Amino acid sequence: MDYFLQNFPQQLVNGLELGSLYALIALGYTLIYGILEMLNFAHGDVYMVGAFLAAGVAGLLVHNEVAVVPAGLAVALMMLVAVGGAGLLGVGIERIAYRPLRNANRLAPLITAIGVSLFLESAVQVWVSPAPVLVPSNALVPQTVLHVASVVTPLTGLALFVAAVALMVALDAFVFRTRFGSAMRATAQDREAATFMGIDVDRVILVTFFVASALAGMGGVLFGLRYASVDFFMGYLLGIKAFTAAVIGGIGNIRGAMVGGLLLGVLESLVGGFISSQFQDTFVFLALITVLLIRPQGLFGQPLTDRA
Amino acid sequence: MAKPRILVLAAIASVGLAACGGGSTSGSAANKPDKVQIAAEGPFTGDQASIGAGALRAIQLAVKDFNKAGGVNGTQVQLVVWDDQHTAQTAQTLQAKGISDPTVLGIVGPMNSGVVLGSIQGLQSASPPLPFVSESASNVKVTDQGNSVAHRVNARDDAQGPADGKFMIDQGAKKVYVMDAKSDYSTGLADQTEKYLKDHTIPTMRDQAKAGQKDFATTIQKIKSFGADWVYFADEGPEAAPFVSQMKAQGLTIGQNIQFLGTDGEEDASIITASQGAYVGAYATNITADPAGVSGSAAAAYVAGYKAEYGADSLSQAGPFYGSAYEAAQVLLQAIKNSPVKNGKISRADVLTHLGSDTFNTVFGSVKFDSKGDVTGGGIYVYQAKGTQMVVVKQVSG
Repeated sequence: MDYFLQNFPQQLVNGLELGSLYALIALGYTLIYGILEMLNFAHGDVYMVGAFLAAGVAGLLVHNEVAVVPAGLAVALMMLVAVGGAGLLGVGIERIAYRPLRNANRLAPLITAIGVSLFLESAVQVWVSPAPVLVPSNALVPQTVLHVASVVTPLTGLALFVAAVALMVALDAFVFRTRFGSAMRATAQDREAATFMGIDVDRVILVTFFVASALAGMGGVLFGLRYASVDFFMGYLLGIKAFTAAVIGGIGNIRGAMVGGLLLGVLESLVGGFISSQFQDTFVFLALITVLLIRPQGLFGQPLTDRA
Repeated sequence: MAKPRILVLAAIASVGLAACGGGSTSGSAANKPDKVQIAAEGPFTGDQASIGAGALRAIQLAVKDFNKAGGVNGTQVQLVVWDDQHTAQTAQTLQAKGISDPTVLGIVGPMNSGVVLGSIQGLQSASPPLPFVSESASNVKVTDQGNSVAHRVNARDDAQGPADGKFMIDQGAKKVYVMDAKSDYSTGLADQTEKYLKDHTIPTMRDQAKAGQKDFATTIQKIKSFGADWVYFADEGPEAAPFVSQMKAQGLTIGQNIQFLGTDGEEDASIITASQGAYVGAYATNITADPAGVSGSAAAAYVAGYKAEYGADSLSQAGPFYGSAYEAAQVLLQAIKNSPVKNGKISRADVLTHLGSDTFNTVFGSVKFDSKGDVTGGGIYVYQAKGTQMVVVKQVSG
């Protein structure tokens, strides 16, 4: 019990950091599902591409472990390129791979999404790097380690958590408090009716893809600065975890995705810390099965539409 | 899972490289074989490319050097490249091509124990069996299962584990956090090391990393809580950089309040860069020698040849097995050369016989296999990350 009490605060913090990343990616799954009722399995790879864009910019701006421009500017440029690039990639994927299938059988876009995922992973592996790529974070962000009572965390870990939560709050406000957000919710509720009300559905869908993918791109930047290493396969398992988080929270529900992501991160960290690292993924997917059995609609139940 | 795409890449790679091989034949000389092929197999792309790519370059150079010296009685040896991506399924698909082609006389590789154990039955049951000489597969089962096709030039886990345990104890280890990476290689090795430590009354705690894991916060907290003064991580390599970076970020600095011993794949200078220097001071043992770190004119000539072929700074990217890969290729090529040529053909059965019986002249001196296919007198070497390089600090015998 002593062991548990001594280690619990630290493992909780570790879990919240990891979970905030899951939540950020889970939001993308949930947004797109909310609008299109489609699982965008390429989403994890959009995140991966965002991380590589950030790593590329960082590689250009850092020579011999020293940033050639002010570090703050370098980080801002990384965010700009990764967020913009990932957003445009998401829009491109929607336009090329999903829109032609919008009225097809539900399985068709799902399979296309898996195809896009494989394409992105292989393309990065062949054209960019088969080995992990360094993000020179030492030159870009302070390597301060924070000590609060017995809890230790790098500043970048705290930044990851704060930035992720801020983005989630902003997204929530965007969807529930702006005119465009109403259009999104209307489209989610009934696409045809939304068209009759004068909503440009294609535009709403494109913007949704842009926002979801941009969030993933931001996740890629934050991940790179925290963990300093990106590789072409990083989006695969993280994508599945984020998808799990979205389903646990109730897919289609924005607040559900946030809570689901944080819960999953904490669960993983506590299982790793107090049971065994071997069982981390086992428990994650056990949690998914349990939630689906007891509450098939997810913890937060109703999809985005009914909250309008 | 997401494996099939790998096949396509591997096929492209092998076609491309096979096309580079020379090879013309008239069959005029009675002892001149029509066609001789060997395969290089290992994780040449993917998460373990940093260890595989250097080995592949070494094998390509070995074949080139061998051909320059006249090949097999005038026939140029063609190298086919099988990129198994560290998975046994991919390996089986690639090996099937070699099994069905009698001019493929042997494999240099596979590099990973898990790949060997997952594909060895197919090689053994082929007719005739397709022999291999691995440069890095160290799990004891690789040669302990009684398969005649199995050979390796590297030392075994049951030599490396105790040597690793002894090294840590000699350095004053009191409490060791033992980790593996859930692979046949790393789990087997970590078991051996942990057993040695326990037999010598050193408390240990066992943990595992996942392939491709980047977040080690949970593990690091457990290391601190356990109060370990040494971390032992048996791994093929790709997880080490993020692991040691985060150790530093969470207050465990190698060489100051923690010591780190890695294995084989972690004897890799690229980890120093990839961890932004957090790896400096860490130790790693290797089951093969680094040609740049041993005495001997053959080794020195090889290092010079490697630099001439791939560039002066190529050694920093060569990975831990560029020496043993060259050695393994030399062994296989000499066994082929020693085999009789009948009607323009060399039989794999004869190559297998010669692998078992002959003594080979390699970059590390003369080499011979015992009845199981293990090299006699393989050594374990301890390296340390200093500056931007891995430097030999000690040779401990197996």
